[in-house]
Parts: sequence; C-alpha cells; structure tokens
Amino acid sequence: MAAHTLTKKGISCLMLDAGPLVDFNRVRGPKPVYELPYRGFGKPGRLPHVMQANEFNANQWVDETEVPYTHDPKSPYNWVRVRMIGGKSLFWARMSFRLSDYEFKAKDHDGFGENWPIGYADLKPFYDRVEPIFRVAGRNEGYSQLPDGVFLEDDSPWSGAMKRFIGAASKRDIPVTKMRRATGRGQFASSFNLLLPDALESGNLTIIPNAVVREITVDKNTGLANGANFHDRHSGREMHAKARIVVVGASCLESTRILLNSKIANSSGVLGHYLHDQTYITQGVQAIVPEAKDGKAPRGLMGGGGYSPRFVNLKSGKEQNFIRGYAFDFSTGGTPDPKFIPAYGADLDKALNSYRGAGVTVTLMGEVLPRYENFAAIDKKVVDAWGIPVLHIQARYSENEFNMMTHATNTFEEVCHDAGFEILAKHDKMLPPGYSIHELGTCRMGDNPKTSVLNKWNQSHDVKNLFVVDGSSFVTGGYQNPTMTILSLSMRASEYMAEQMRAGNL
Amino acid sequence: MMAVNMKRRGFVKALFVAPAAPALLGQQAPAPGVPANPAPGIPLNPTQSVPPPASASNELPKIDIMVPDAAAEPMPHFFARAEFAALQRLSGILMPSVNGAAGALEAKAPEFLDFLIGDSPSDRQHLYRAGLNALNAAATKRFNKPFSELDAAQADAVLAPLRQPWTYEDPADPLARFLRVAKADIRTATVNSREFNNAAAGGRRFGGSGTYWYPLD
Repeated sequence: MAAHTLTKKGISCLMLDAGPLVDFNRVRGPKPVYELPYRGFGKPGRLPHVMQANEFNANQWVDETEVPYTHDPKSPYNWVRVRMIGGKSLFWARMSFRLSDYEFKAKDHDGFGENWPIGYADLKPFYDRVEPIFRVAGRNEGYSQLPDGVFLEDDSPWSGAMKRFIGAASKRDIPVTKMRRATGRGQFASSFNLLLPDALESGNLTIIPNAVVREITVDKNTGLANGANFHDRHSGREMHAKARIVVVGASCLESTRILLNSKIANSSGVLGHYLHDQTYITQGVQAIVPEAKDGKAPRGLMGGGGYSPRFVNLKSGKEQNFIRGYAFDFSTGGTPDPKFIPAYGADLDKALNSYRGAGVTVTLMGEVLPRYENFAAIDKKVVDAWGIPVLHIQARYSENEFNMMTHATNTFEEVCHDAGFEILAKHDKMLPPGYSIHELGTCRMGDNPKTSVLNKWNQSHDVKNLFVVDGSSFVTGGYQNPTMTILSLSMRASEYMAEQMRAGNL
Repeated sequence: MMAVNMKRRGFVKALFVAPAAPALLGQQAPAPGVPANPAPGIPLNPTQSVPPPASASNELPKIDIMVPDAAAEPMPHFFARAEFAALQRLSGILMPSVNGAAGALEAKAPEFLDFLIGDSPSDRQHLYRAGLNALNAAATKRFNKPFSELDAAQADAVLAPLRQPWTYEDPADPLARFLRVAKADIRTATVNSREFNNAAAGGRRFGGSGTYWYPLD
C-alpha cells in the first residue's frame, strides 16, 4: 500500500522484496493427492510451526531451516511466513474488518494498557478508500464495536439453520452478520494484483525481488536512515541501496528483526515488546442439525455461515472474569471430522454418512492483551542462510485469554443448544500464539517516545525518515482480523510522508 | 489501467511464445532475399535441413506416467514383525473395505505408514512402536495371543478406547493415545491412496485433488 500511495503521488520508490516474483501459472498445478510422495501427510518435520501447511502448499511457506527462529520449547510460537512478491496477501482468509474506539481507546474503556494515539475518526477516511480497492463484501449493521464500511452489499439469504442460530443468539444479545470479506479481482485480493500494477503503471516503482535485507543504514552525521544493505537471495551477494526515506513493511516480526539488527529506533526500549495477535480455537464446538441427518435436510435448511462480533464487555463496569472480547466465525453444512465420532470401521462410515452436510462448527477468535513480557529479540547465536541473526520469540497467553476463550466456547455451545442443535464435541484449547498469522505490536505507536517506537504517523520517534507500515505499529489488536487496518494505516502514513516531502520536512 | 492491461497481455503472449524458442536456436536466420517460409520439405540448399511439419515440431507428446504404487510393491522395514502384524490387523479393522471401496489393506496403508513413521521424528516413532506393543500386550493379557490373531469380537474388546467420547486432551493411557492417532492416520493413508481413488468410494470421500505448489525458484 505504501508503494501504491507514494508512487501515485509522484514519488520514486524502490521496493526490496525478500522473495521471488512468482509465475503462478508455472509454480502451481492440479494434482491428485495420491500422486504426492507422502499421500498428503507432507514430509514429516518439514514445517513444524506452520499448521496451515499441507503437502500441496508446503513450498509456498518460508523454509524454517533457511530462515529459522528460536523459542522456549515449552512455549511454542507459530511464526508463519511467506516470501514472494505479494507476500501473505496472496493467501489470507480475506476477512475484512475495521477497528473501533473499543480498540483505539481501549484504556479509556477498561484501564488496561495504552490508548492508540489516533481514534477511529482519524482512520475512517482511509478505511473508506481501502475497502473499495479490495472490494469488501458485507452488510452494514450499525454496530458500535464493528464499524460499517464501504461494502459490496451482501444480500444473500440466511439458511434455515442460520435463522435458528440467529434467533437463539438474539435472545442473548449476540449479533450475527454476514462475513465481511475482500472479494478482490480474479484469483486474488492481494497487493500483487490490486496495488502493485497501478504503482508500476505510474512509472515510479522499481521492484527488486530476492533482496533479503540485512539492515537499514544510517548517516552518522545526520542520524537519518540513508538506505539498506541486502543480500541477493540466490548468490548471497551483498549490496546497498540508497534512499531518502526508508519505509519498512516486511510484516510485523520481520520488520522488527530488521530494526533490531540495524540497532536503530529503540531509544524507548520497547522495540520488539508488546507482541500480540488474536488467539484462535478451531472447531471449538462441533454440532449437528438433527433434521439434516441421513440426507434428509429440506432444501434451504443447511449452508452458509455467519460472524458474531464482540458482544461482551461493551459497557464499562460489566466485565466478566476477563476484559476485551471475542468473535464467532461459524458455518453450517459441513461434515464433522471423523475424530469427533467415537467409532471405527463400518460404524464410523455409517455415522459419517448420517452426519454428512449436517454439521455446524466454529472458529473462535479472541483479543490478546499486549503485554511487555511477550517479545521478540535477536538471538545472536543463530543466523539464517545469509548470515543474518534470527529472532528469539517469547509469547504466552495469560489468564485473561484463557478465561475469555472458555467463555467463548461455552457461549457458542449454549446458543447451539438453544437452537436445537446436537453437540457432538467441544473444547476450549487455544492454538499456539502466532497461529492466526496476525502478529502485531512490536513497533507500537504512541505520543510518548519513551513508551513507543513510532508516532501516530507510523514514523520513528528516533529516525525521522524511517516509517514502519505493517501490523507492528498496533497498540492493541482487538478481536478483528487486522488487514484492513494495516492497509489504512499504511495509506495514511504514506500520504503524510508525501506531504512532508513536499513541504521539505523530509 | 489500460496500459497495464496491455502490458499484461503482451507478457502473457511472450510466455506462450517462449517454449518454441529452443527449437530455433540451432537454425540460421534466412539469408537476405530468401523467403522466410519456404514450402515444407523443400530444402533451400543442400546444407539446409528440412524443417519438420509444423504439427510435429510444435506439439509435444503427452507422456503418461504412473505413481510407483501402480507397478511395484512397497518394502516395509521400519516396524518389527510383530509390530507390523498388529498394524495390519488394526488397519483392516479400523478401515475395512466397504461397498466395494478399497479398505486400508487394499490401499496398502500399513506399508505406507511403515515408510511414513520410519521417516518421522522420534517422538512419533515412539508413539507408534509403544502403541503397537501395548496393543499386543493387551491382546496377550486378555486372550493369550497377539493382536493380529484376535477374532473380530476379541479385537473390539481391546479397541474399547476408540468408542470413548472425544476429548481435546490426549488420553493418559498410551494405548488409547496411540489408537486415536492411528485411527486418523490409517484413514488418511487409505482415502488418499491410488487404490481408494480407483475403486468405488462406497459412500466415503476420496482425499481428492488440490493445487500443488512446485518449489519456488
């Protein structure tokens, strides 16, 4: 987004990308699973931290042996990375939400942590411009905790099962809306096809693929950033690129790693700290719609899903045994995983055939509190394939997240029960930190240079011509997927940059 | 946007043209005044080779290939004889042939798992070995013979943990823990097999196909 915005303002940009430009017609192709060497299991031990990986897509993720990282074995962190032009925006789930002042002014609401230095009103004009680019579909509902947007209106009808769920949820003041999702264009809703082509058309963008940045360089006389040292991914050849302004958007933890290895932008001592994400429970509840068993679902009963934004702790002083909130992302019409069925052999087949298409399941997504003790730092003992020191990551969920997600699971189960669904299984076990691929907060913004890395324009307090435009700038992340907020912040910061350059301040 | 779209079309066109280039590398460019496209089969001079018909030079043959399972037998060697016999019996019980669909034995799931587990980290190898030995120990304790020799009713008795409701936490009992993993693995190794794909699925869902990512440059 920074390249898109800056180049359209007439600013010449050089983009260094650690990965290749991928020819999707060449690197992808259909295959039956039985042709894979490991019958779909994947090579054992290849991507131990990437639970999203399978044998089909294993080559799209960063090789953990090439770019390792470390953590306490008792506290796993799942750092999921993509290195190719377009990055993770090629593979995201496209869930597109705005933050609200429940997040921007969270401290005012419940006293924990810090407020952002901006409010919803500051970012709203940019959300309004980003959503049409990504063609976000959804419904405007007027929720204070999930602001409306500029959507392609989703007027699709609810299925019978969804109506039953909505009816039961409404009695508990739990809202349900259609998923808000970027529809993009063609195969992707990515910077690859939605942002970079326009930037290139401007004639102001040069992209260098396979450029693995080691560090940002600083002019000793001025203290300003003056470029970056990088390695060619294939040959290892080290090169230097000059720049008047350096914009870092390598994703939260990679950007943090670059800054830490550069030994800049950390007079506050908080660079790398306050790492947070959203905590996930997948298949938290597995239910069955009884009327849909044995293939007897009447037309229109099953199918479709919904999204329930945060509905707890919206009123100050009404907290449960946790603060902040969570969301439900649920669907109807699937078939339960065989693991949930206490049978085997022909009995298991019979049960699966009975349940086929009758399932209801949910992913529970909760806010994680940004805490100083969750951090990423340089592990000086380990380097990557280009000799660049790697990250050591420490992240643990707290009692707040455990209590919140137990509440989430129990509540979803109760609504299913009230809707007349049969509960097949439930659990409240969170996946390891990092699983959501929403790492945030390690270069957080703030008005106080002693407690934050960036100011409200995503600009380093210490190095005035250094900007960081990914999720690392977040102060709190809420329960919402962060992509629309990252893009909006990046657009806002880039327009500020352009203004400052024009005014001669940068 | 128009300019970009035109550029893209140009790029796509270039991609389509590119594969033909190697066939031209060894040829000389036509001399001045010589027609660029002489009649097929008529050499311009004695040293010039006859260009092949367009269809033969441009169309590449389609070569059919097979997965090795179609023509060769696996060579299991990781599990001990008693362990492998228990795994075979367990596989046949957990994933039998139903309605003409290949079961685990037809899909050679035990042989595949011998390979997979043999290539796995040590904790998974231990889970399997300890589990299969526990399966044999339980069978011997109750029926005085290894699991592979139990009849269906006896095997069902030993497999009672698999009829317990699912819990997120792994069972404390090593046998129950192994059986849970084996149930999933045997199923996957079966439905993702060529044999299962070729046979009638019998109401079961084939593992299917997907978009495979080749290694990036």
